[in-house]
Amino acid sequence: MNAHGENLQREEDLLRQTLRQEDPSSGFAQRVMARVSESAGASEPARAVLWYRPFFGPVIRWSAVAAVSASVIVSTVHYRNMQRERAQGEAAKQQLMLALHIAGSKLQLAKEKVNDANQAQHHTKSSPSPSRSKS
Amino acid sequence: MAERIITAVPLPEFAEIVRCYQSMVFSIALHFLEDRFAAEELAQDVFLQLHASLPKLKSEYHVKFWLRKVTAHRCIDYRRSRTISHVSLDEAPEPSIAGGLTDIFLEKKVRQFVATLAEKPRMVVILRYQEDMSAEDIAEALTMPVATVKSHLQRSLAMLREKMTRTIGEVAI
Repeated sequence: MNAHGENLQREEDLLRQTLRQEDPSSGFAQRVMARVSESAGASEPARAVLWYRPFFGPVIRWSAVAAVSASVIVSTVHYRNMQRERAQGEAAKQQLMLALHIAGSKLQLAKEKVNDANQAQHHTKSSPSPSRSKS
Repeated sequence: MAERIITAVPLPEFAEIVRCYQSMVFSIALHFLEDRFAAEELAQDVFLQLHASLPKLKSEYHVKFWLRKVTAHRCIDYRRSRTISHVSLDEAPEPSIAGGLTDIFLEKKVRQFVATLAEKPRMVVILRYQEDMSAEDIAEALTMPVATVKSHLQRSLAMLREKMTRTIGEVAI
């Protein structure tokens, strides 16, 4: 290394030595953390003055949860009852339709039998007996 | 340095980050502002800003780079926006060092010299010789071309050489 290079190296070393890192005064990190906590607290909304805050107390919150749960259960039970009643109604309707169908069939059968009987009687009356014609 | 993903940091872990980088941030501010009180106040502001920005930073490497960059810019802004009551380097207490009287004298002269530099060249010199940053890293941190950084460094060293030669003679350096 020539004289110029040595001087340059010495200058740089001197700058490094002079500009070395130094510690801040003791308690620096604690002071920073205090300011961080302070600013974190300040950035939260002023909860005490919010008008709706009383509505979100723990007792009321749990009461609201219980009320919603109860209404969900009642609605479910009611819906299931309605479904069961509707199914029973459908079954009764099917039974009635079947009964009406059977009754209709029987009535038709009876009517046919009556018609047959009438025709037979009419036939008997209209044809003369062979014994009477001979006499 | 091991890359560790930074997410939401709890306060105890953030305190650890502060302890890890407090000397770096404080020293950049101190060497630039020459005022311990102002440097400490500025360093606290930088860490407060870091706490707010930490979720956006990807790793410890980014945290270190972010701290150097923000501290440098805050120092320059601070100097530009305020009239600082300068404490003469002759009146300022010297830090205790293990060197002899010659070293103390030389360091005082070098501090005086650094204080005479304009804002950006001064920050370039501080980042180069305090943080051992490359010209490329300094250019990125200070948002300036690499050639400008190299030019600042060369001119600053030339000025230092000239002043030291005039003051105490080339042999003493």
